[in-house]
Amino acid sequence: MTAGLWPSEIYVYGAIALLTLCSVLTRAGFLLFGDHIPLPDGLRRALRYAPAAALAAIVVPDLLPWRPGEGPVFDLRLLAGLAGIGVFLYTRSAMLVILAGMLVLWGLRWVFG
Amino acid sequence: MSADPAARPDAARAERAAAMRAGMRAVAPTLIATSTWGLVTGVAMVKSGLTESMALAMTLLVYAGSAQLTSLPLIAIGAPLWLVFAAGSVVNLRFVIFGAALHPFFRHLSWPRRLALGYFTTDMSFVLFMPRYQEAAVKGTPEQLGFFVGAAAPGWVVWQSSSILGIFLGAMVPASWSLDFAAVLAVLAITVPLANSRPMVTAILVAAGAAWVSQPLPLRMGLAVAVICGVASGMWAERRQRGRA
Repeated sequence: MTAGLWPSEIYVYGAIALLTLCSVLTRAGFLLFGDHIPLPDGLRRALRYAPAAALAAIVVPDLLPWRPGEGPVFDLRLLAGLAGIGVFLYTRSAMLVILAGMLVLWGLRWVFG
Repeated sequence: MSADPAARPDAARAERAAAMRAGMRAVAPTLIATSTWGLVTGVAMVKSGLTESMALAMTLLVYAGSAQLTSLPLIAIGAPLWLVFAAGSVVNLRFVIFGAALHPFFRHLSWPRRLALGYFTTDMSFVLFMPRYQEAAVKGTPEQLGFFVGAAAPGWVVWQSSSILGIFLGAMVPASWSLDFAAVLAVLAITVPLANSRPMVTAILVAAGAAWVSQPLPLRMGLAVAVICGVASGMWAERRQRGRA
């Protein structure tokens, strides 16, 4: 990825400003306005699934990319990611996931070029 | 117990200070993980194309690792700002639930204090605080406030210093090392432990499947599709599970 891909600095700083607003609203919103916000139980339960769904959705295009015109393509990152999941289930350590996943990716790249 | 009102502010202060130290002791073992996380996020920001000053602004202002890691691929392709905002909000939704649970403890404080407490809330401070005080008969004591601040403040210091270290290290590491993949692995390591019930597994798998097939949609709109499908399927699986029980 080159710096030339960046549309403009204003765009990035705009994104940072919006994400700051998002941090303040999600974290402090309830503490500030909690007396006035109803949060029905059904909605509260539905909200539990949203972060997990979003996190899963954000890694999928990195692990199972889909190129325009070509359709789905295989990437070695998928194997490294699966290795990382395996390491997590076995060790419960996030640090080992990162370490093992990187080592598997470098190893596979070295073997398959 | 002394009935002398003049002695009470001191007692409250001592109680708060002792609880703050207890909070710091409780959070200390988790700070190694926090610093690894901060380091990875710092590296990921510069590796996805942010300049060092952009990355510094992001870590100091946003202070939300998973929202930052989620937004980076969107920012890198120039996705519309509303989608960046929406994605960050969805990933941060857990803090809304934390806030709802913490509200009874801090509702008596002034609004600038509630704003500050909310902004500095971390996953760890919440996870350590709730089991300790959720059954407390009196909510809003100086002890509770002290413990919460003690459990939250070290996280900010450790997160920011390791993130800033990552920003400057990341700028020195060549792109061929693919260190950006460490961010993908970090998100995986946040996601997998969430799969702790059948409805949650359903939501994650459906969201992943929807994200995979909707990749041809422009501007990563597949993310929105995936979240809607994931939440709907999680609710459906939950209802089915309850129907059977």
